[in-house]
Amino acid sequence: MTTINLSQPLDTTVRPDNYLTHTSGFMSWAFTLDHKRIGVMYMVSVLLSFFVGGVFALLVRTELLTPGQTIPGVTADVYNHFFTLHGAIMVFLVIIPSIPAALGNFIMPIMLGAKDVAFPRLNLFSYYLWVFGALFTVCSLLLGGFDTGWTFYTPYSTTTPAGGVIAALTGVFILGFSSIFTGLNFVVTVHKLRPPGMTWFRMPLFLWAIYATAIIQVLATPVLGITLLLLIVERAFNIGIFDPSMGGDPVLFQHFFWFYSHPAVYIMILPAMGIISELISVHAHRHIFGYKFIALSSIAIAIFSFLVWGHHMFISGQSPLLNTLFSLISFSVAIPSAVKVFNWMSTLYKGNIVLNTPMLYALSFLVLFTIGGLTGIHLATLNTDVHLHDTYFVVEHFHYVMMGSALIGMIGGLHHWWPKMTGRMYNETLGRVACVIVFIGFNVTFFTQFFLGSQGMPRRYYDYLPEYQIYHVISTIGSYIMALGFLLTAYYLMASLFGGRRAPANPWGGGSLEWQCSSPPPFDNFAKQPRVGDCYNFSAIRWDEKEQGYVVDPALQASVNPNLAAKNSH
Amino acid sequence: MAIKTQTVVDPFAGAPQRFAAGVLGMWVFLIVIAMLFLGAIMGYLVVRLHPDPAEPFIPKGATGLPGVLVFSTIALMASSYFMRLATQKVRLAQWQHAHAAMSATLVLAMVFLALQIIAWVTLWRNNIHFGDSLYAWTFYVLTGLHALHVLAGFIPLIRAWSKTARRAYSPEHPEGIVYCEMYWHLLGAIWLMLYFTLWLGMRT
Repeated sequence: MTTINLSQPLDTTVRPDNYLTHTSGFMSWAFTLDHKRIGVMYMVSVLLSFFVGGVFALLVRTELLTPGQTIPGVTADVYNHFFTLHGAIMVFLVIIPSIPAALGNFIMPIMLGAKDVAFPRLNLFSYYLWVFGALFTVCSLLLGGFDTGWTFYTPYSTTTPAGGVIAALTGVFILGFSSIFTGLNFVVTVHKLRPPGMTWFRMPLFLWAIYATAIIQVLATPVLGITLLLLIVERAFNIGIFDPSMGGDPVLFQHFFWFYSHPAVYIMILPAMGIISELISVHAHRHIFGYKFIALSSIAIAIFSFLVWGHHMFISGQSPLLNTLFSLISFSVAIPSAVKVFNWMSTLYKGNIVLNTPMLYALSFLVLFTIGGLTGIHLATLNTDVHLHDTYFVVEHFHYVMMGSALIGMIGGLHHWWPKMTGRMYNETLGRVACVIVFIGFNVTFFTQFFLGSQGMPRRYYDYLPEYQIYHVISTIGSYIMALGFLLTAYYLMASLFGGRRAPANPWGGGSLEWQCSSPPPFDNFAKQPRVGDCYNFSAIRWDEKEQGYVVDPALQASVNPNLAAKNSH
Repeated sequence: MAIKTQTVVDPFAGAPQRFAAGVLGMWVFLIVIAMLFLGAIMGYLVVRLHPDPAEPFIPKGATGLPGVLVFSTIALMASSYFMRLATQKVRLAQWQHAHAAMSATLVLAMVFLALQIIAWVTLWRNNIHFGDSLYAWTFYVLTGLHALHVLAGFIPLIRAWSKTARRAYSPEHPEGIVYCEMYWHLLGAIWLMLYFTLWLGMRT
């Protein structure tokens, strides 16, 4: 039986217009204060950046097909620029804003039952900060580019002749403030705009994840801001606190940088985990298992995130005592992460699983995150890390987490909410095919890098010994397969905008508030304040042939919750 | 049914909710600024506590922090006091007092900046140049960063000053001046911490 559950009435009343048609013209978008439009603008910008970052990834992989030069004209120096740009674009322009700023902006206020985020003007300002940050990063290319790696390690970043370093640092500084203001907005929104009845422990898990992320954004990102500022001054005046010739300390930069950038990894992964909680519960049509544990594990991960930065620096010469402490605390991150994975698996158990595209992405996430998480243990272990540090093993590990988990989670979420955002259904078959292609391509690309890394191939190298070539060739082929999968995704998503079937209000059978408003939502989200129940109780939701979507069945609802049914009948 | 043309959706149910959200937003913003300065101070302490053995952190000729900083500290603290007073008077609807207090805040803020400039000039004349030593670098960068935040604070200060003149606040709606006060006290607190750190850094 395809039917399932639910707890809430769906407000599927057809409204005369939606947020896309409410006003029109370029200015109505450029100066919009509507969180949904800002979310869409972020999404378009982030996906364009993803394309650019992806092109650089393919260039890097193609260059590595053979030892020495492969692409004519790509010298070792140019190659350094390529991987730096790939890293910087993917981290600062794509993954960090992808879920909170793009999907979060669109979905969070609706899920919360609010009309908008707390500070709509600040929200638009954050978006333009992102645009300016991106422009500065592009300008750095015109000024001679930057080849420091996305980590900007001193003393190389203060001495490299590449001309675009200051512009790139300024760009990342501005992007940081974009991220801070988004976080600030979300913290206040979650605290102050929850409607009556939406208690903390009734919030959808995606909101818990976004909230935990926002806390990290406002606490950690200012430290990156000051670090980049000090670095800019140092590079401009050739003196500063990271300069050892004057008594400064280059390792201090690493401490500062990772004090932000390790939490930043959780800025990337936490919202993806929130998405997975939604996807798994909705597409398995089963109440999420261990709600409180999943919610609190997000907070636990946020707290741990500030205490583990030193595990990036085991071989930097920091004291053995610090190394041991950082190693220990890093291991403990495994606990909240595993709490989540086991709860998701328990949710799937005996669930009514529908293997549509978002669910396939959620399952991919489970596999890839488990691999990414478990390989983290090798790197948190002091003695194995000495061998694996700065090898392809690290590259593999963080791609499994940052791409295989964070980005795959984002793309799963994009498919999940695509009908809500655009009002159109995409081609489900192509969606599944593309997901499988991406999954295969991803593993061919990065699983291979285990072998490279454990055999000692250092990361970021332009040239390598012939014995590594076979792995590099396989890895590059994998990256082409992945590119194919993403291009297919881009194709059918675009096609759905023009020829896709109109989306029903609730295509998947979700119970949270965003499925209560029409697809696409009206400009003010809800005509009247929605009633808040248990968003993971699907017992009164059933498939409706006529609607081609899910609806609340009053009969089912009466048997499940007579009180609510009586209220809704008014 | 007429289609609404309104495009700006008010997310709040009423003014009290908006005010509460604004205050929380300001608190988060203050935490952001505080983290920025905490990072800077940590950086200073690391290079100060682990100096290059070959080169003393405090170069020859440096005789201590410029004495004028004592007066700039007093100016900023007094400015903070008058800011507090201004908010209180707005809540009591005593407009003339509120405006006078805001004027005092603004003048003292200018005095603070002027004294900071005197401190930099004094140091520079004593041959403590920006690029010569980490001691000079950290002093100019840290105090400069703080001064920049004070300078930015003039925007809300002048706004609050002009609004008290126009009686644009009401005892029930003192939002703007309350936010301004929160920011201003934070800058005072950060300056005290910064000054203490720099003073500590001069001890050997």
